[in-house]
Amino acid sequence: MQIIYTLFLLASLLSIFLYKKPLLAQKVGFGLASLISLYATLFFFSNLGETMTWKLPGNFISSPLFRLDSIEMFFSFLVSLIAFAVSLFSFDYAKFYEKKANLAVFASLFNAFILSMLLVIASDNVFSFMLLWEVMTLISALLILINDGKDASKNVMIYLGIAQIGAFCLMVALLIMASFAGSFEFSKFADLNIGFGMSITLFVLLLIGLGSKAGMFPFHVWLPIAYCQCPSNASALMSGVMIKVALFAFIKFSLLLPQFAWFGYILLFMGALSCIFGIIYALASNDYKASIAYSSCENVGIIFLGLGGAFYGLGIHSPLIALMGFIAAFFHILNHAVFKSLLFMLSGNVFTATKTRDMDALGGLHKKMPITSIIFFVAAISICALPPLNGFASEWVIYKTMVMGGMDEGIASRFFFTLSIIALSITGAMAIMAFSKMYGSVFLGIARDTKCVEEAKEVSFIRLVPLALLASLCVGIGIFMKDVIGMLSKIVLTLIPQTSQSVYGLISMPLIIMIMLLCAIIPFVFLYLLKANHKAVRVTEPWACGFLYNKNMQIGSNSFTGDIKKALSFILRYEQEIKIDGYFSKAVYTQKAHDLFWDKLYAPVIHSIMVIADKIGIFQNGRTNLYAAYILIYLCLVLIFGYYYL
Amino acid sequence: MDFFYLLIQLVSAIVVAPLFDGISRKLRAKFQSRVGPSIFQTYLDLLKLLKRGRTKSHSTSYIYQISPYLLFVSAAAMFCALPIVYGAHSAFLSQFSDILVLLYLGALFRFIFIVAGIDTANPYAGVSASREGTLGFYTEEVAVICLVVVMMGAGSTNLSFITTLIQEGHYGYAIPSFSVAATAFLWVMYVETGRKPYDLAEAEQELQEGVLGEYCGKDLAIIDVAILLKQFTMLGFFLVIFIPWRFDNPMLSLITFLAEVGFLYVMGVFIDNFGPRFTINNGIKRTMLFALSIASTSLALYIMGI
Repeated sequence: MQIIYTLFLLASLLSIFLYKKPLLAQKVGFGLASLISLYATLFFFSNLGETMTWKLPGNFISSPLFRLDSIEMFFSFLVSLIAFAVSLFSFDYAKFYEKKANLAVFASLFNAFILSMLLVIASDNVFSFMLLWEVMTLISALLILINDGKDASKNVMIYLGIAQIGAFCLMVALLIMASFAGSFEFSKFADLNIGFGMSITLFVLLLIGLGSKAGMFPFHVWLPIAYCQCPSNASALMSGVMIKVALFAFIKFSLLLPQFAWFGYILLFMGALSCIFGIIYALASNDYKASIAYSSCENVGIIFLGLGGAFYGLGIHSPLIALMGFIAAFFHILNHAVFKSLLFMLSGNVFTATKTRDMDALGGLHKKMPITSIIFFVAAISICALPPLNGFASEWVIYKTMVMGGMDEGIASRFFFTLSIIALSITGAMAIMAFSKMYGSVFLGIARDTKCVEEAKEVSFIRLVPLALLASLCVGIGIFMKDVIGMLSKIVLTLIPQTSQSVYGLISMPLIIMIMLLCAIIPFVFLYLLKANHKAVRVTEPWACGFLYNKNMQIGSNSFTGDIKKALSFILRYEQEIKIDGYFSKAVYTQKAHDLFWDKLYAPVIHSIMVIADKIGIFQNGRTNLYAAYILIYLCLVLIFGYYYL
Repeated sequence: MDFFYLLIQLVSAIVVAPLFDGISRKLRAKFQSRVGPSIFQTYLDLLKLLKRGRTKSHSTSYIYQISPYLLFVSAAAMFCALPIVYGAHSAFLSQFSDILVLLYLGALFRFIFIVAGIDTANPYAGVSASREGTLGFYTEEVAVICLVVVMMGAGSTNLSFITTLIQEGHYGYAIPSFSVAATAFLWVMYVETGRKPYDLAEAEQELQEGVLGEYCGKDLAIIDVAILLKQFTMLGFFLVIFIPWRFDNPMLSLITFLAEVGFLYVMGVFIDNFGPRFTINNGIKRTMLFALSIASTSLALYIMGI
């Protein structure tokens, strides 16, 4: 098993040594990454449910222990599965960034990023965990910088800032837990004797620390900024698996605390808020990549709903609810990793072909890129949780968990579970609008800006293979829902103390597909019996009520969501700008959605910090005698303090 | 055998639905002091559409060609999810008859409807696709609030199980939250049938059917049948949960069910004909808020354990 980690390290080093030949380094780096991650995928999958440990060899200051239990094994499998598809995709895709950065560095960082995620999952010690966690954050920040642009450094600072808030809370929580356990190794953390107040505090600290990395509301502001800045393969990896690593750590650490039902309520509440705000901004955005990024916030919310059910089940000692909740959360984690990385890679295909991220400039791309378009259709259906694909399968289990949780007698549990079901269903309705708008305005209709779309062409075969692989996973996981649930239940049973429950009363996805196929025959039978007209279709201009048709008559992505934006205007702020120069010139109309929480929460804080920093700045004036005076004043203060208080 | 009955359930609905549509058109004409078409007019319309040639806009792609069939498949699958000729004893089909499956098949219908509208590049189709999505956003939340009460009250998401439970009297109108939910749910299901003040089938250009502006010939016929079937399913969804009359003989339950749905469908004309017309935001504010507040009342009752 150590060989996987070593190989990733070697691949990373090898690609950086080839920095004089970036094109070769790109082929070698990403090629090796795909081979190693394929091996890792097979290895972790075949060892699911087993426990493995290893120590860092060599003469270091400490020799930390690394340990893979069943859930660590599952998450390692997930990371390497998505890494395999993404690195195969990057094998050709990374060439697009040839002029922006040295591809050797890109390939090296990519390998190092996969390695750091795998190591974070495996580490079994507070210090190695925190160190690797920070390394993972830094490498992902460097990956964002690969696509150097106007606001790149500002965007990276926002990402790092939120990551640091999170890391601080996480560190505090882990140190307190370690002091209770009297050890820094996670495997000795079991059965901590912590009271209710302290547990809730630790839980909230963990939620802030890891939720901020996972893109939970209200820490979601970095998602669109970072993912739009990144190259698409890096955003696929970050959104597909890095936020899953954060969720993994959250599950692992919060299970070490004594369980209370309130943990479940907090998670349900935050999950419901995350889903609704995430999808509202996804719906309002006209940038397809930002929209996909915001939908990560939504999906993390959905996963938190499942986890909320699980923690509630543990809190009230109902193993069945806990089992269903964990299965739901893990199932959605798996599915989200698959379809979100797929969508980000597809957005990369669209961007390399058209060089624009604006939905209002695109259209009619299906004719130019048919395979990308069909795969996008599958991914969109899957992320909207429509039957019979995988998104529906996992959301169904989440709904089922909520229903089971809401059947209890207590008013609090009924309140939280019913509200979260309603949040989930509103999210579903809005996700349909968001993704039908995205698919429609990018791939269907007529190109709005002919310049962008004219030269677009289908991407190379090697970039389509991993996409097709993930799309077929979307279909396959949906069809074999029962088997996947069976596999997951074996993994999550290790998280629930003393139980032998099993899941029952599932829907049968093959039956749904069979009935849909049966229904598909009926119209053909009717058409045949009633002798329908089968003549070839005449091609015409779209009908425009007698006026001459113009491509600008199509609905734009702003007006498509106009009504719903009006209704949601109390939380959704947008700027409208209309420029009219003269009677005969073209009017320019722009509308940009604002993130309310950025404006109200982050911008004032950042502004005040800047002001304070400016004020403090006068102390640093470069005069040596003043610095000596500072030291003198400090010494005096310490003496006074020491004399009176110590 | 269950599959055979399921096929009969589906085919008989397809055959009977246009008749009720014809009756409601005739009735509406009478209200407006017109003679109106014969009650078989919808059949004749469909037959005529089948014989006509087709055109398509040059912008269209594969979505335009397959969407009539996809719409039909999702509507028909929704209808099959209603446990009319089969019940909880059919363990095999019960795995399909699930409230969430039905809801999300409806969502699939809406997704394809919107995407097909955008594909034609027709300006009216785009506007009505947007309208369809917005309306779906409003109806779904009210419908789900009502269904949450039912699902949690009955303790299952399985539709055939819930039907049996209510029919045998273990759960039902004696519980206040359930009976309040029934009102709001009927309201939403009426909205889903696409009538005034939420929609206006005759004003095809700007409202719901605007999506179909470019469709013609057999494609339009299939979509028309799919929409009729979806409207029937929505009313049937109400009946299956809130008025479950089922008999041991599957054919008898089927006939009663079709008569009930047809009755509700025709009765919709009474609201439709006297309802005012609103712009969408205005209409939603004036009318859906009532449904939402009724549904929320029922939810509050459930949470308090009544």
